[in-house]
Amino acid sequence: MKISTNWLKDFVELAPPVSRTADRLTMAGLEVKKCEILDHLKDTLFEIEITSNRPDWLSHLGVAREIAAVENLSFKVPKLDAETGRKPPHGWDIKIKDKDGCPYYTGVLIEGITEAKTPDFIIQRLLACGIRSINLLVDITNYVLLEYGQPLHAFDADLLKGSEIQVRKAKAGEKIVTINEDVLELKADDLVIADRERAVALAGVMGGKDSEISERTRNVFLESAFFDPARVRKTARTHQLSSDSSYRFERRVDPEGVDLGRKRAVALIEKYAKPRHISAVVKAGEKPQLDVKTIHLRSDEVRETLGCEIKPNQIVSCLTRLGLEVKQHAEGSWKVNIPSFRADLTRPVDLIEEIARIYGYENIPETLPERAPIVLGENPRLALEWDLRELLSGLGLHEAVTFSLISDEGLDPKKDLANAVQIVNPLHFGLHWMRPTLAPGLLSVIRRNINAGAETIPVFEIANIYYTHPSQKHPVEERVCAIALYGKRRQASWLDSAREMSFFDLKGIIEAMIQKAGVKDWRSASCSKSFLKSTTTAELFSGQTRLGFLGEGSPEVLKKWDIKAPVFYAEISIDRLLERAQGIRRFAEWARYPSSERDLSLTVKEDTKFDSLVAEVRSLGEGLIQDIQLFDLYKGKRVPEGYKNIAFRIVYQSPAQTLVSEEVQKIHDNIASTLVEKYRVSFQK
Amino acid sequence: MKAQICQLEGQAKVDLAGVNTPASLEAFRIAYLGKKGKLQELFKQLGTVPPEQRKDVGAGLNHLKDWLEQSIAEMKAKLSQAGDTEEIFDETLPGIAPSVGSIHLLQQTNKEISDLFRRMGFEVVEGPEIETEVHNFTALNIPLNHPSRDAFDTFYTTKGQLLRSQTSTVQIRMMERQKPPLRLIAPGRVYRPDTVDASHSFMFHQIEGLMVDEKVTFSDLKGVLHLFLRELFGKNTKIRFRPHFFPFTEPSVEVDIQWGKGWLEILGAGSVDPNVFEAVGYDKTKVKGFAFGLGVERIAMLRHGINDIRYFYENDLRFLRQFT
Repeated sequence: MKISTNWLKDFVELAPPVSRTADRLTMAGLEVKKCEILDHLKDTLFEIEITSNRPDWLSHLGVAREIAAVENLSFKVPKLDAETGRKPPHGWDIKIKDKDGCPYYTGVLIEGITEAKTPDFIIQRLLACGIRSINLLVDITNYVLLEYGQPLHAFDADLLKGSEIQVRKAKAGEKIVTINEDVLELKADDLVIADRERAVALAGVMGGKDSEISERTRNVFLESAFFDPARVRKTARTHQLSSDSSYRFERRVDPEGVDLGRKRAVALIEKYAKPRHISAVVKAGEKPQLDVKTIHLRSDEVRETLGCEIKPNQIVSCLTRLGLEVKQHAEGSWKVNIPSFRADLTRPVDLIEEIARIYGYENIPETLPERAPIVLGENPRLALEWDLRELLSGLGLHEAVTFSLISDEGLDPKKDLANAVQIVNPLHFGLHWMRPTLAPGLLSVIRRNINAGAETIPVFEIANIYYTHPSQKHPVEERVCAIALYGKRRQASWLDSAREMSFFDLKGIIEAMIQKAGVKDWRSASCSKSFLKSTTTAELFSGQTRLGFLGEGSPEVLKKWDIKAPVFYAEISIDRLLERAQGIRRFAEWARYPSSERDLSLTVKEDTKFDSLVAEVRSLGEGLIQDIQLFDLYKGKRVPEGYKNIAFRIVYQSPAQTLVSEEVQKIHDNIASTLVEKYRVSFQK
Repeated sequence: MKAQICQLEGQAKVDLAGVNTPASLEAFRIAYLGKKGKLQELFKQLGTVPPEQRKDVGAGLNHLKDWLEQSIAEMKAKLSQAGDTEEIFDETLPGIAPSVGSIHLLQQTNKEISDLFRRMGFEVVEGPEIETEVHNFTALNIPLNHPSRDAFDTFYTTKGQLLRSQTSTVQIRMMERQKPPLRLIAPGRVYRPDTVDASHSFMFHQIEGLMVDEKVTFSDLKGVLHLFLRELFGKNTKIRFRPHFFPFTEPSVEVDIQWGKGWLEILGAGSVDPNVFEAVGYDKTKVKGFAFGLGVERIAMLRHGINDIRYFYENDLRFLRQFT
């Protein structure tokens, strides 16, 4: 809101410079965003930002009152003439049919307007506040709005049908054309002002076009009322219509301001429009009272909340300056009467905030809390996450942060989004989904970096995935770590040649992660994922727990992302890793006797899994196999089609003694002959 | 012939004295012991020596050969002792770069802030991002149909849940679950349907802090936040506390940090509003507390001179690598 400092001077003596006043206001919570000198109007403007709890600041009077309180100046309450000696308008009546929506409605009939020229000071002050002069009556209602914060509405009385004003709910199918020429179809909850025939205004929001004031208006019905904040807000939001009036009514206007604002407007109209006749006020309903009119405040509450002692006379002074009435109740306690414009003050703590504001936050000391030590556990999930971040970044991967909201780009709606959480009011480009996988995020990172000229893009992200689960009412959020590898495992250098990334580079990283997490028993199994190549996808398990999956991006999906070389992608659940992780690690003694190694080279059917061979070998090792290392895998001309050659080294070691060569050979021979029989393999020693 | 051997030995001694590098030693070796070397020449002439002298001359030649081989070996050892090896080493060749990755700047900042508060005895906790109206609004003293809700535009799910618009939801969940005293920090993602520009994003990161105990004052809030900001921004950091309004705190405060000639808003805070204690079933007459919330992006942007929030979510390697 824009505030003219010239205008403020009607109510408070501003000590120059005004920029200092602006700073003081800011430091009291009434933020002056900008202090602008208007040379042509010889005025200085405050651009203020008002928090939603302080509608009383939405006027020059309100701001002047705050300045008086903050600067300890006297506040000049404007004097208004009593509305006496006027006759009620003949035949005019007001009926409130919805007392919740409008507890209090007043009006005055002004007849025979003779002058139409707006005085210069009104034009200039409105202009300073960013409002153009329209015509005298509208200018006066705007002037009073900015001065008192009370929105008024002037109807052209000759354009109203009949002389009964009704405040009622809109009828089914009722329509109104507003002064900004919107045609609105009204809802049953909308509160309207109506004449005998139709709605003539959307209460507190906007007037109707066909009773609008114009240059030709001679007779005016001036409305000043209190409308229920929630109702005005609802109507304004329903019709996406906001006005200076609705902004104030939504935040609650001062009920006393209904009468004060009207009096001020009538006085201005009388003086400048020179009407032939002004009626007495017609009223309906009652001014709403504050829920809490008096608050009991104790000085110990002030001390315990703020952490410092503020002297009783200072407490009283702070509150009194704000327009509150303070009466001593007992030693160190007061009864504080709340004025009608401060509906935000309902509890002692609200008064304490007021005291702190006026006393100055800067004058409250800084202390550190008295506190007994409490057991501070480390959050295990965050600890593991950080360990993984350090591991993966150390392995050369870059961490990305991508949006949780995604579109369905590159995903199969049936397979991937069946259990996904959908957003009803997405903002951007179809970002409808809370992502059930981090794959789209990391694929976009890869695409973006390819376009920026990068050749190798190893990235990871640690974030939630979201999905619904039939057994749970609330969607599940699972923390996962996703990895995507693109490009070269090793860059070419003057010592080494380059090597492309492979599935097994990804698997190696995942193995390191699992080890880092302290999960001991785990295995992989083949699986399928809509966005991964079916031949190169694996799922990881520990016990019955599914830890995650890894694989190579399917060519169709990569095409959609415009990525031309392979991407290897994995998603591992941090929550599941934690479930399977051992807590504090136990030390394990290693065997101290020398080991012996024997190699085994087998030609087996291509579909024989390495894992099954290892398991077989181990089961035959009489507990003496310490390690099995794959060192060669060959498919090609030297082996028959449909077969592969696997070579591995078996390390034999006993925890109890030095193994003699014959003993090792016996076991080894047995392994070889058993494998020949079982897998119909041929083997070379 | 004997004289030739003597002469060759003499010459060899002279030549050997001139050897001072591995290369010249090699040249010396080839000159005397090579297949076409001087010694070989004499061996070839052995056939012309009368038979009765051959044994003697042969022994002389072999003696010279032994002497030459031994001298060369000694000289080789001597030269390598002097530090010169045969291989020339260029230590200025470029190293083989290991692949070095990075932790995202937002996570680094998050961790740094969390660690500062951990040192002050705050526990790091988390809560869900998909939330209920109650946790995101009602319990935080933000009534439906109230203008205070305007500041918290929200994404809704088709099932009527919402994406939390602030991490304050976590303090509600923790208070529902635990009795005081509480000291916690809750980092996480939050969502608001803001149009994306240089300083806004529809998703960003916040850190919420909460302390609840029998005696916690507004002055404690000031002390803790000032300490924190000095640790984060440096000892001489100037800050100011400005009254503000948040539905869930009373008194409320906005904290500004001096930045160049002006002040920049850095976080929002306040004493926990008694209505919030009531909503979670605490006895509002027995407990007090303070809460604060800060934007991780904003702090990272200030500290690192980043002028556009979108850099954080683009994940351009040229950005990520700068914060290795």
